[in-house]
Amino acid sequence: MEGASVRKDLLSLLGKEKVLTEELDLMYYSYDSSFLTQLKPETPWAVVLPASTADVQAVMKYAYDHQINVVPRGAGTGETGGSVALNGGIVLDLSNFNEIVEIDQKNMQVIVRPGVIHAELNKRLAEYNLFFPPDPGSSQMCTVGGMVANNASGLRAVKYGCTEQYVLGLEIVLPNGDLIYAGGIKARTLKNVSGLNLTKLMVGSEGVLGVITQIRLRCWPKPKARGIVMAVFDSLDDAPATVLEIYQAGIMPSGMEILDSSAISAVNMYKPEINLPDAEAILLFEVDGNPPSVDYEGNVIQEVAGRRARTVEWSTEPKRMAQLWEGRSVTATAAARVRADGTRVFAGEDISVPLSKVADTLRAIRKLADKYGIKVVNYGHIGDGNVHTAPVINTSIPEEVEQVKKLVHEIHLLAIELNGSTTGEHGVGAVRRPYAEMEHGLAVEYMKKVKQAFDDKGIMNPNKLF
Amino acid sequence: MDFKNLPPVKEQIMKCVRCGKCRSVCPVFAELRYESAAPRGHVFMVQMLRDGVVKPSEEVSKRLTHCLMCENCSANCPSGIDIHELNAAARSYIEQKNPSIGKELLFDTLWTKPSLLNLSTSLMWGAQKAGLQKLARYTGLTKLLPGSLPQAEKILEAVPLRNARSMIPEINPARGEREYKIGYFLGCATDLLYPDIALAAIEVLTNNGCEVIVPRHSKCCGLPHIANGKLETAQSLAIHNCQIYNAYDFDYIITDCGSCSSALSAKNMHFLLGQTEHAQAGEIFAAKVMDLSKFLIDVLDISFPVNHNAKPITVTYHDPCHLANAQKIKDQPRELLRRIPGVKLAEMSDTNYCCGGSGTYSITHYQTSMKILDKKMAMIKLTGAETVATCCPSCTMQLNYGIRKHNMKCSVVHPIQLAREASKKKAVHSA
Ligand SMILES: Cc1cc2nc3c(=O)[nH]c(=O)nc-3n(C[C@H](O)[C@H](O)[C@H](O)COP(=O)(O)OP(=O)(O)OC[C@H]3O[C@@H](n4cnc5c(N)ncnc54)[C@H](O)[C@@H]3O)c2cc1C
Repeated sequence: MEGASVRKDLLSLLGKEKVLTEELDLMYYSYDSSFLTQLKPETPWAVVLPASTADVQAVMKYAYDHQINVVPRGAGTGETGGSVALNGGIVLDLSNFNEIVEIDQKNMQVIVRPGVIHAELNKRLAEYNLFFPPDPGSSQMCTVGGMVANNASGLRAVKYGCTEQYVLGLEIVLPNGDLIYAGGIKARTLKNVSGLNLTKLMVGSEGVLGVITQIRLRCWPKPKARGIVMAVFDSLDDAPATVLEIYQAGIMPSGMEILDSSAISAVNMYKPEINLPDAEAILLFEVDGNPPSVDYEGNVIQEVAGRRARTVEWSTEPKRMAQLWEGRSVTATAAARVRADGTRVFAGEDISVPLSKVADTLRAIRKLADKYGIKVVNYGHIGDGNVHTAPVINTSIPEEVEQVKKLVHEIHLLAIELNGSTTGEHGVGAVRRPYAEMEHGLAVEYMKKVKQAFDDKGIMNPNKLF
Repeated sequence: MDFKNLPPVKEQIMKCVRCGKCRSVCPVFAELRYESAAPRGHVFMVQMLRDGVVKPSEEVSKRLTHCLMCENCSANCPSGIDIHELNAAARSYIEQKNPSIGKELLFDTLWTKPSLLNLSTSLMWGAQKAGLQKLARYTGLTKLLPGSLPQAEKILEAVPLRNARSMIPEINPARGEREYKIGYFLGCATDLLYPDIALAAIEVLTNNGCEVIVPRHSKCCGLPHIANGKLETAQSLAIHNCQIYNAYDFDYIITDCGSCSSALSAKNMHFLLGQTEHAQAGEIFAAKVMDLSKFLIDVLDISFPVNHNAKPITVTYHDPCHLANAQKIKDQPRELLRRIPGVKLAEMSDTNYCCGGSGTYSITHYQTSMKILDKKMAMIKLTGAETVATCCPSCTMQLNYGIRKHNMKCSVVHPIQLAREASKKKAVHSA
């Protein structure tokens, strides 16, 4: 079918308030935060801004009948091209479908529409002394729907896990327009092992099985106290060693983050007031809980980290803690600051490796970066082996673009070789799809069969994931 | 100006990774919700313009001008992109290719000649006084402005009969020993709509050891031109103003208007003149420019006589975008307010959430502007303050309209007006 007739049909189906059809307006949906779409943006045929589950069903039924690709989109902060219609079709922008339907304090859960912004949700939950723990660096930008679809996690995954641990139930519009509920039609339970676990199947499915239109999330009591330890190291190797020693001391921090020397300078350039010391590596540990336990854990971490670190700073002062934590969470984009004419590209940015191999990984990445002559900034969730590498290049120089592609490919291969994964949290989308077989072998065939069962016409976010 | 070679266009576009941080802090996106209103969307579209993927058309301009230039995106961009400069550069490029007669008349002719601007406001005054709203519409300013005019007209307040320039002498000697020689930059809106702010500023400054000179021939700061695709006109205004002020030996160049001080700041002078032979003149000029509240606190360290009988008033302070986002000046106006006897500062929840005024935006984009204003007014209401202080006449006009629109009982002042009252008490006290 032609884009023009799809636009006409959608307009008559949903009205012009909910459908974008002008070429210029559509162009703005040709990107997400990936390097892929920076190099090659792809404009969709139409964009629909649904305001209800019925709207989504109407679009899906239409698309199913006419065999048109549909790509769900949250805030488009993903790093994989996942929310972009790379092969034409309709983009469903769910970021306006953003109601917090119910905060069910009595049952420790919240029900939201997919477009709610993560930080907004936690702001509202805080009024009830609750929180939804996964904490991506993109908290202020990304949607909860996008988090569920990507099984996002972040700075606190080490203690609190990923989005999947919190999803109790989902309302899903299937490619043929059917509406199903995963986790029980009427259930408000916290525990439920009834039936095949379609909830878990949907979490992390990156929009290839259906559209998530409502989410029931488990909330946790908001911790009363927090503290942050900053440990400064003269040798990179000491950082992963310290992480293991903290675990062995019986402590489970709520966050364990690493910044390498170039990440440190990037943060300082972005926010000089944060004023991180120059070093080979900095570890940031966050502990949270009740005040006495926070103090206790903070003390143990200081003592253990102090054995290897040059200096250790302990802070429970809200302003300083906010500064340090913000410094870490903005490293993702602030990385570009290390080179005046450089851009941070989101590619090869999310490998995950066994804890015991973090030091080897960081060293190997440095070597690869030297080999290709690319400046890289390394940071990440060291507590669970999730290493973020930020290549900083001048994207207007074609040779650099080519070099970085090779570098990224080698980083992905490195992860697989070290018993790791090409992605720890950002997902696969279009960019890591080529590694699916290498990582999963025959299992990929079964993934495809699962998709076939949900999406017999192959219209749901095609050519992503596998 | 060569669009493709402007520094932001050349150096900054590629730094955008579309992380969306800007989208989360943009007051316009919060209302419109289309990606075409998101700041990262503007960066993308400027890139498409630069690369020739899209033509410099009015359609593109329509999307770029969703932006009200509050600079909250630039202030928050982790990659350090001056998104508003990119947007301004693109608007100007498009305007060059599609010149509009209305804009030429308004921005190139009227708004570059203080005398003509003054004449139009005088005509408006006459028309408003005579109740001839229609005449006002046909006489000048309002006719040239696009957008939802009938509603937008309501925003324009009663124009005062006499502008500041006609009431303030060129040279205002310091009372007592002179410590500083100040060049006062009288912005258009203060001059024509809120002359009392300038009167208050001159009074407080001269009372505090400043000789204040108000150069007769200074012109608009150029911000309206930047926002409306008239970069070259803004450039020539900047060159003119630099010539005028650099001819004196001022210690400081002070303005009460946050928009003017941001337009005259080193950063913006560099944007406008950095590539030209006037770069140095721009630097010399901008190095002396300072916002009034910053000068009163950081340089003069102003104090007020103790007054135990001062009438208590609750004041909430609205951060003008061009002061808080563009110049990071947030503490000094508050400090000034705190030092005024009787003032109790009650902060609103989101102090530098834009009011939606932004110069001509409230007129050109009335609907969006009003949605943003409504949010701001709700925040103000919650503080219970009877006075709203702010340091920008455009915000003042917008907030005053918000007060009328929501039937609220407060007034909008510049902190300098409260400062003048507090200093007057001194005279009574010592008499
Ligand atoms: C600066 C920065 C920092 C980041 N930090 C982290 C981090 O710490 N941890 C982390 O995990 N990620 C991180 N990310 C990646 C990204 O923000 C997350 O994956 C986020 O959850 C994506 O949400 P979104 O709303 O932007 O989704 P989008 O990017 O719009 O979409 C992501 C995927 O989800 C699908 N999708 C979206 N909504 C739905 C829906 N309702 N139904 C079905 N499918 C849907 C899309 O099709 C796409 O495949 C970061 C990104 C940036 C730019």
